[in-house]
Amino acid sequence: MKHGLITWDKAELPPAAFDSRLSRVRELLAARGLSALVVYSDVWRSNQGRYFSNFMPYWNRALLVIAAEGAPSLLCALSPRVYPWIRSITNIDEIRPSPNLPQQLLAMCTEKDWKKIGVLDLGAMPQDLYAPLAKGLDSIADIPWNAVRSAPDEAELSMYRRGATVAREVLEQEIAGTSGGIDHDFVGRLEQRLRLAGAEDLVVLLTNGQTAPKPPAGITLDKGFSVTLAFEYRGHWIKVSRTVAPPEVLTSLKSLFRYSIEGKPLGDPAAPLYLENLSGAYPWESCGAAELTAGSLFAAHVETQVDDRRYFYGDMCIRSPSGAELL
Amino acid sequence: MKERGWDLLLFYGHTWRKDFFRYVINFNFAGPHIVAALSRDGQLQLVVSDPWDGEAAAPLFDQPVVLSRDFAAGIKQLVAQVGKSAVAIAGMEMMPAGFVASICRPSGKAPVSATADIEDMRRVKGADEIERLKKAAGLADRGYHYFAQTAAIGMAEYELVAHVEGFLKANGAEDNFMLIASGGTEVTGMRPPTDRKLQRGDFLITELTPQVDGYFAQICRTLVLGEPSPEQLQSFAIFSEAQKAAEDLIRPGVDVADVARVQNDVFRKFGYGEYTGSKYTRVRGHNLGLHPDETPYILEDVHYILKKDMVVIAHPNTYLPLGGYMVFGDSLLVTGDGCVCLNKTERKLFRK
Repeated sequence: MKHGLITWDKAELPPAAFDSRLSRVRELLAARGLSALVVYSDVWRSNQGRYFSNFMPYWNRALLVIAAEGAPSLLCALSPRVYPWIRSITNIDEIRPSPNLPQQLLAMCTEKDWKKIGVLDLGAMPQDLYAPLAKGLDSIADIPWNAVRSAPDEAELSMYRRGATVAREVLEQEIAGTSGGIDHDFVGRLEQRLRLAGAEDLVVLLTNGQTAPKPPAGITLDKGFSVTLAFEYRGHWIKVSRTVAPPEVLTSLKSLFRYSIEGKPLGDPAAPLYLENLSGAYPWESCGAAELTAGSLFAAHVETQVDDRRYFYGDMCIRSPSGAELL
Repeated sequence: MKERGWDLLLFYGHTWRKDFFRYVINFNFAGPHIVAALSRDGQLQLVVSDPWDGEAAAPLFDQPVVLSRDFAAGIKQLVAQVGKSAVAIAGMEMMPAGFVASICRPSGKAPVSATADIEDMRRVKGADEIERLKKAAGLADRGYHYFAQTAAIGMAEYELVAHVEGFLKANGAEDNFMLIASGGTEVTGMRPPTDRKLQRGDFLITELTPQVDGYFAQICRTLVLGEPSPEQLQSFAIFSEAQKAAEDLIRPGVDVADVARVQNDVFRKFGYGEYTGSKYTRVRGHNLGLHPDETPYILEDVHYILKKDMVVIAHPNTYLPLGGYMVFGDSLLVTGDGCVCLNKTERKLFRK
């Protein structure tokens, strides 16, 4: 869960990056005649709120409200006792205690005399929030994520690159010499090292090659096991897969990976390719190549089978007009 | 289902709230979405959004597992295929509205929420669930022991959490819900760890909630770095008395409002009644199980009658001007005539 170091290093991710994202929203609000854009956020679906404000509800749910002017506001079910902490790591000024999120949003619309607002990915809003809003507001515009998400800028890319570098280094160091150990011990070491390195959250899946990677279950890791690591670095999710396959298998996997991401279309019809969108609302979501547009950040994992054992290898990429590039 | 007139019952889970789904199938998925559909004749079908979830779940089912990246389309197809008219959803409130809308169309009727009914069923634990909760409580004890052993002056909060998280995962925790804070009377609540370095004289507070085989148990303790001040000791004495008052009262038939009231009465007795409200505290405890913060919440305005085999935590966690925010509580199993504590960690103000 989200209990790593949640922080905002302004040298690493400058306030100007958020200003530029908010400007894009405001242009859209003006063009569509909307008074505000509402962004839903919860423990697991925090990417979008984080993108605009650096806010992540480590527990509970919240609505980020981006109005045509001023800093974003937060309607938050967390206790006011943590608001100073929230202000210290976000660009948010006003925070309204909101045990009942739709009720507070409706009150805000009345108070500000907002006639028409937009909700980011309206159909993805939880039913218990959507139903009272649909009933209480005359009009809600559904604003798709790709209408407000710009192609990643240098600041964003550098966050992903930093996260990917840490994930690769730690994973590659830890898998070397691990065979024969218990998967829980291996995951414990990754948790400790990566949280010390700034991970807010991580999810580790493993396989001895008889199945696809899955959560640890107290098994002994055989020679040739594979690991898939999802690692959240300051709101930026990274996914990589590594294996301790024999050298010739590893070389072949890496070639397959390169071939798969450099091709247009992505992938090799003869070999499994698992694509996951990391630019969306969720930390990752399985997707097809057609869903990845230029600028999409995604993880690609390839698989090869040798002597009845499956090996996995994967990494973070960015979609480009000509294919994809390793991040 | 028959009593309610439901033909098909969906158990929806997403990666944050896996609990409704795991109540019917204790399978840990990567997500982000999953649905198990239970028909009246007892058949179970599964729709997953992740191919590796589909592969891992397949051996658990007679029916083929449906992989649907367009999840709304997947559940729409599932509901249409079975041709049932009355659909209920456990976890409907947290389900994306677009998914709920997709279910409306083929059935011709809007689905209804089964959340309250299933939540109520979940509150009373079966023998196998209690065993899992005991294991989780045992791991919480070991985790706290490790926490207290590892904490050191000069260590950043997040570094301490990293070590504890590593320990819990190495010892089989699937997940862990953990909050922390350190400092003095300026500390008004817990949150994720910061880079604040621990100092002599700090109150170091934490709640650890490891998850074992789906089930979360919790422990709350406070540690003083150095010798506790008279105010810190006085504060702990109040918390200890409040927690004991709750534990002495808990038995089947007792209203959770009274469990909150007896805790708050202790604070009132010592002149700290104003610190029992929402300005300084959240809840006086809550239910435990497949989610670390289940209802009913133990509050004076929440009424729910405790039943045998519920597992709850009673924690009078709040701010007091004596020493700042303090936490203290254990996971408790409601028995036939009282309750037993699932945690074994010593009940004291820890010091280091």
